Amino acid sequence: MLADAAKAQEIFHATLRDAAQLAANSEAPRDRLWFFRNARWRCLEAGEQGLQAEDVDLEQDELAVSAPSQIEKLEPQQLAIWISGAPDPQRTALALFYLDEFSYRDLLSVTELKPQELSKLLCNGRRQFQAWLDAVVPVTQP
Amino acid sequence: MSAVQLSRRDQILIHCAPFREERVDDRALRTALHHARKSEALAVQQNFDKAAAALVQAIPIPPEITEWVPSETFIAPARPAWKKYAQNPVFLATGIAAGVIAVILIFQLIDRLNRFPGEPTARRLLTTAASTHSVILDPVKTNAGALGDYFFMKHRLAHYDVPSEFADLKTLGLRVFDDEEGQRVAQVWAVEKKMQFFLFPAERDQKTGAAKHFNGWRYIDQERWTGAVREEGGVCFMAAVRGSQKDLAPYVSKKRE
Repeated sequence: MLADAAKAQEIFHATLRDAAQLAANSEAPRDRLWFFRNARWRCLEAGEQGLQAEDVDLEQDELAVSAPSQIEKLEPQQLAIWISGAPDPQRTALALFYLDEFSYRDLLSVTELKPQELSKLLCNGRRQFQAWLDAVVPVTQP
Repeated sequence: MSAVQLSRRDQILIHCAPFREERVDDRALRTALHHARKSEALAVQQNFDKAAAALVQAIPIPPEITEWVPSETFIAPARPAWKKYAQNPVFLATGIAAGVIAVILIFQLIDRLNRFPGEPTARRLLTTAASTHSVILDPVKTNAGALGDYFFMKHRLAHYDVPSEFADLKTLGLRVFDDEEGQRVAQVWAVEKKMQFFLFPAERDQKTGAAKHFNGWRYIDQERWTGAVREEGGVCFMAAVRGSQKDLAPYVSKKRE
C-alpha cells in the first residue's frame, strides 16, 4: 500500500507491538483481521504525510484476453507502485484483493466497504490497470 | 464461451469475486458465480486477477519481516460456537421459548399417559373422601374382602368386590349412594390409616355401552388426598388415603392369590 519497504516494516512492527501490548493486558485481538485493519489505518496515516495521489479520472480499458501475458512482463515493484499511487479507498481495495489472503466477507470487513463500493472500486481499478498495462506493456502484434 | 445476461446484483458481486473458489464464502456471490460460469467476461477477469495476484506474491518480503511473523499467542483463542450463540439474545430467547414448550409438552404427555377411563369420577370421589365423616356411614365391622357378597345381597351390586390387596383390612362402616351422574357408588371406611374405599361403575363407551378397561393400578392425587384405582369386571375400585402415593404403594404392590 505504501510502495516503501522501510515504512511498511515500521508499520508492521508497530502493529505487532500493539498486538503484544493488548495480549499482555489479556485483550488479545479476536482474529487475524485485526492485524490487517490496524496495519491499514497506519498505512493510511503514513500515506497522508507523503505525496498525495491526484484525484484525476484515469483512463480505462476493457480487460483484455492478453492481460495475463502483459502482467507477466511487469516487475513486482511496478505493480506495487501503481497500487500505492491509487487514491484510497481504491488503494486499500486493490491491495487487499490482490494480496489473495481474504475471503469475500473478510475483504468487506477489512476494507470497511459495502459490496457496491468494493465492486465499483475493483472494477474501475482493473480497467485503469489495463489501460496502464496497454501503455507500459503494449501488446505485440503477431 | 457465450454472452451471459447477468442481473445488476450479480454483476456487482462478480466484480468482487475472489478468483479462488475457497475464498468464496457468501451464498449470493456463489449464486452469482454460478450464473456467470459460462461468461467470457468472468473468465477474462479471473485470468487477469490470477496474473496480478501472482505478481503481488512475487513482491519480495524483507527477512526482517519474515522473522517477525506473529505467533498465534497474539490472537485470542476462538470462543466455542455454542457460547457465541448462547450470548445472542435472539438465540437465547428462542432457546428459552423452545425449552418452555418442551417442558409443557412433556407435562402434557405425562398427564396423558396417566389418564385412565373413570378418572373424572375417581377425582370427584376423592373430594367426597376428604369431606366424609364416619358418622354418616352404616357401622359394619368386618373384613373388606367380605363386602362383595354384602353389596350383592343387600344392594344388588354385582362385582363390587374389594381387591385382594385390601381384602384383609378391617372396616368401620359403609354406605351406598348415587353420585351426581346417578351411578351407584359404594363407600367403605377402613380402620387402617383411616383409609376409604370406593367402588363405582367403570366408564362406558357411549356407542356400545361396553365398559372401558384398563390394566393395573393408576394413581391420582388431589388436595393432599391420593387414590389408587383399578378396574375389574366393569367396576372400578379406589383406595383413598390422606397422604401421598407412598402411603398406598405398600398395599398395591402386595401380590395375592
